[in-house]
Amino acid sequence: MVFKCPGGAAVLISAVLCVFGPCLCGGQQPVLSPELPEPLAGGEVGEGGEAALLTADRFQIEGRAAVYGVRPEIWAPSAVVLVDGEEHVGFIRLDGSFTVNDVPSGSYVVQIASPVYKFEPVRVDITSKGKMRARRVNYIRTSEVLQLPYPLQIRCTGLHSYFIERETWGWSDFLMNPMVLMMVLPLVIILLLPKVINTNDPAMRQEMEQSMNMLNPNPDLPDVSELMTKFFAPPKSHSSSSSSGSGSSKSGGGSQRGHRGGPRRR
Amino acid sequence: MAGLCSVFSVCLCLLGFSAAVFEDQVGKFDWRQQFVGKVQFALFDTHSQASKKLLVATEKNIFASLNSRTGDLFWRHVDKTGPDGHIDTLMMHGQDAVVVVGNGRLLRSWETTVGGLNWETVLDTGSFQSAAYIGVQDVVRYVAVLKKSAISLHYLSNGHQKWVENLPESDTVQYQTVYSGGNGQVFVLGVVPNSHIVIVEYNIEDGEIMKQKSVAAPWLSSLQSSCVMVGSGVLLCADPTTKSLYTFPLQSADQTTMTPILLESLGVEVAAGFQPVLISTQPHPARPPLSEFFLQLGPDYHILLQLKDGLVSTLRDFNPSYLVAFATTGEKTVAAVMSPKNETASVINLYSADTGRRLLDTTIIYSMDPNGGKPAKLYIHAFLKKDDSVGYRVLVQTEDLVLTFLQQPGRVVWSREEALADVVTMEMVDLPLTGTQAELEGEFGKKADGLLPMVLKRLSSQFILLQAWMSHLWKLFYDARKPRSHVKNEVTFETLSRDEFNLQKMMVMVTASGKLFGIDSKSGTVLWKQYLENIQPNSVFKLMVQRTTAHFPHPPQCTLLVKDKDTGLGSLYVFNPIFGKKSHISVPALPRPILQSLLLPLMDQDYSKVLLLIDDQYKVTAFPSTKNVLQQLQEMASSIFFYLVDSSQGRLSGFRLRKDLSTELIWEVVIPTEVQKIVGVKGKRANEHVHSQGRVMGDRSVLYKYLNPNLLAVVTESTDSHQERSFVGIFLIDGVTGRIVHEAVQRKARGPVHFVHSENWVVYVYWNTKSRRNEFSVLELFEGMELYNSTVFSSLDRPRPPQVLQQSYIFPSPISTLEATLTEKGITSRHLLVGLPSGAIMSLPKMFLDPRRPEVASDQSREENLIPYSPEMPIRTEWFINYNQTVSRVRGIYTAPSGLESTCLVVAYGLDIYQTRVYPSKQFDVLKDDYDYVLISSVLLGLFFATMISKRLAEVKLLNRAWR
Repeated sequence: MVFKCPGGAAVLISAVLCVFGPCLCGGQQPVLSPELPEPLAGGEVGEGGEAALLTADRFQIEGRAAVYGVRPEIWAPSAVVLVDGEEHVGFIRLDGSFTVNDVPSGSYVVQIASPVYKFEPVRVDITSKGKMRARRVNYIRTSEVLQLPYPLQIRCTGLHSYFIERETWGWSDFLMNPMVLMMVLPLVIILLLPKVINTNDPAMRQEMEQSMNMLNPNPDLPDVSELMTKFFAPPKSHSSSSSSGSGSSKSGGGSQRGHRGGPRRR
Repeated sequence: MAGLCSVFSVCLCLLGFSAAVFEDQVGKFDWRQQFVGKVQFALFDTHSQASKKLLVATEKNIFASLNSRTGDLFWRHVDKTGPDGHIDTLMMHGQDAVVVVGNGRLLRSWETTVGGLNWETVLDTGSFQSAAYIGVQDVVRYVAVLKKSAISLHYLSNGHQKWVENLPESDTVQYQTVYSGGNGQVFVLGVVPNSHIVIVEYNIEDGEIMKQKSVAAPWLSSLQSSCVMVGSGVLLCADPTTKSLYTFPLQSADQTTMTPILLESLGVEVAAGFQPVLISTQPHPARPPLSEFFLQLGPDYHILLQLKDGLVSTLRDFNPSYLVAFATTGEKTVAAVMSPKNETASVINLYSADTGRRLLDTTIIYSMDPNGGKPAKLYIHAFLKKDDSVGYRVLVQTEDLVLTFLQQPGRVVWSREEALADVVTMEMVDLPLTGTQAELEGEFGKKADGLLPMVLKRLSSQFILLQAWMSHLWKLFYDARKPRSHVKNEVTFETLSRDEFNLQKMMVMVTASGKLFGIDSKSGTVLWKQYLENIQPNSVFKLMVQRTTAHFPHPPQCTLLVKDKDTGLGSLYVFNPIFGKKSHISVPALPRPILQSLLLPLMDQDYSKVLLLIDDQYKVTAFPSTKNVLQQLQEMASSIFFYLVDSSQGRLSGFRLRKDLSTELIWEVVIPTEVQKIVGVKGKRANEHVHSQGRVMGDRSVLYKYLNPNLLAVVTESTDSHQERSFVGIFLIDGVTGRIVHEAVQRKARGPVHFVHSENWVVYVYWNTKSRRNEFSVLELFEGMELYNSTVFSSLDRPRPPQVLQQSYIFPSPISTLEATLTEKGITSRHLLVGLPSGAIMSLPKMFLDPRRPEVASDQSREENLIPYSPEMPIRTEWFINYNQTVSRVRGIYTAPSGLESTCLVVAYGLDIYQTRVYPSKQFDVLKDDYDYVLISSVLLGLFFATMISKRLAEVKLLNRAWR
């Protein structure tokens, strides 16, 4: 098939002269393309070369596919055996076996395409003498041989999952949210702890004081957080001039004054 | 490290989510239509009366079963393309159908209820001639396959070969027919052209030749075209030169010559130069054929004849009649004849085959589509009614590949547009505004005529809008009360209008048979169709939208350029893409072969874009060619460039337009054809927008993209196909200057190469011959850290070459086609749509094809959201945008932007057509489908009441405190 007519063209408007600016310069046309000649797809892979094109050097790939617990009548009519894409096609018989005919020698990936069931692809090597070998497909280390039985035994490895779950809103999701946990747990502790521990019991009080001392072994050492707040706190004049004077006197802590003043001023 | 990994897995998860489909979205905005192609064989299941099966085998190598009540597919088997999968014959007996495939290479038996394969047998080589069921004592046991030099007999139960015999003298005799009358003999008939007929009789048990004789027939050249078997073993041949029929009983022992019967003696005349065609019927394969047969004497003239005791008598004369067919139900055989009624309709009648008497009340009126073709084939489904009379339905296939199934008195049960199995090219056109919207638009276009009239006009149009809105609301309310199944969104031209987000469009599809379709993208309804006659079967088509719907009141306009592939002569067909009507604009005559066509962004005063056609003498024809256009072209001529590709000579050449519409050669690039050949050239899409000029790097600097709108990607393949020496080359050429911007060679690679060229990148797929796998490679071009001229791009002023980055990946599947998503403004991230041979269409994020993917992740690359490099590209079924709705033999994917930036419309076509929407960056500009209105409104209401109550409580408390 020789075609004479040229393939493509484009409107190319040089932008220097183009008043429309660059956005219009993309106005080229994709080709009134004569269909480009398809290269001879089969036959080049094996050492057979042109001889592989002769029917004498063509072989059969045989095998059997199975879906556990499903009879072949149900899944086989919608499935098809594809060898290297659509180069060779085979159909699955009602007993689950299949044959792909007229395959020249070479190396092929045999795949069962079914819209419902998932099957692992298998690589089949055919020598020019017609010897067959099946092995696991490994696209990265192509020479690695993990032999599989031949005639092929292909088992379904599950169903295709095409869909993703919608995120649904549930109380459990809401409650397990870390933000909510951070808010709710302290609240629960604050509300419940005083009720669990009887603060009026003198023995308990002593124990608690002791444990507090344990936590703070050296009372002379200044607390780091306090130090920091003092360091970063704005000067006294600032906080006293702020309008939050009355509020801060109620709450007490002088070191907190600056912090409370800050956000209010915004 | 574990944390790092989890970050990436989260990132991948998000990516995965961005392309996937939710289960509740199934069928919401996507649809698929499945086709089979041009029917070659069609058989109705007459095994049982209630059967709905219709078996078809088509030119597209497809064997399928249709539901004869609805026209839907029960099952379909798609064999490989080309002569290896060609279906030679289809026969049916009982529940099983026997198919011969690939010029007699395979014999398959299919179970027709579920569509499963019973058995499959490989036959010996040799070109296929014919096949027949062989019955013994009323039971069909075997199938005989006749090849050029051998005949074989196979058991029907398991396909095993009973015997195979070489045919005697097969190098001189052309054996063409195999026949069995059901009495234990197999006859093979052959012919030595213009000499004699050879008849060989085989024993059914062991394949031994029982008898062999030859009969002189010097006028005969082919058995298949001029002979049939009629009655109990009588060979009947028609000879146009002597205008006579010849008969010969196969079983006669003594007869050695054929008996001639002059057609004149029957009182009929053959049309001059017409080869008479004989049509006979054999209702049961184990019994001899009927003695009645049709003889076609002219294109529109048939007669029904009967052979009795060696004498032929006329039963009925059908003049005129287009098509005839036999059908059998039970013990009755009928003949259906289609004859013309008037200009637009034909009438089909049923006649009793043995008498030629017309059966009462059996008329079906078939009205022909004025935009369609003539009926070409007739298939009859006959059945017995309760009162034992014969009822029937007909399947008509027309020249434009419409399958129509009709029942009495002419009601169309279903029809299928099989031309859509072969879509060549398509475009999507925006739908027009509704009348009211158009009126509002029109208001702005008019000149102002005083303040008060303007105000009044504005008020009146607003009132009209309000009215339309009210009626819309009323319709919504009215529909909501009806049960869901009753609400049918019938799409007609009246209801056809653009929606808010421009998601519904008109798909204009051009098919290989020369039929044009206008399909509503929302529902898949065919709104208009137009059959263009006189289209050569090997034509190439190019569809262009010259005027969109945006220029009210001018109608939108599409132009189809049809080019004959052999002669290169082209013709233009101009039509309105919304209504399918042919436009009355005069088109330029194109006397010379067209090399090239290009649609300029220039517009004439009627807002239609200018189409330039370049012929083989490099002369340019403009369409439309008004004075305005020619003036504009003169002004613009020096900045209009175009290129031509001559792949037979490996030459790419660039031309510039001159003011007098001639052209001048500017540059030429020759790629030597001895080494490599050009297989594809692609520019960028005209309607593509690139939103961001550069990419922000991890260190907050910007890497600017090289956005050359004139860049061409040229892909070549080596002529040497040896696996060690073959290579694939890619050239990036500036189309204005001819400068080769970049060149890359992929060694030990071969085609077929699929590639996409967009923005600043080219993605291509090739076959790695050494590792025997498909590989993706991506080329990305960058200007560098600063732009050379940030205001305007000029090909003529580019001092620095771009920086080119490239990376390759393994793709674990072959691919059928490749396309990139396209959105309105180009803000949304891009995905590649990959059509796989399994029928899936995968949406692969472009993020995976980024040459800046680092081998080792660093902080900067994480900042940029770059995925660390991994050699193998993943294939996830969640990325399949068409879930289990596989599209067989995907040929092309068309993408179009919608009014929503997040949404891209996708149409995949091949054997099937699938339409859907994709959201490459999720639906960021619309509320999600599952947006929880109830939750949000209940929370709002709850908060509202809570504030009300707490306010009240606070008041009470304050009051109490004041009292205290």
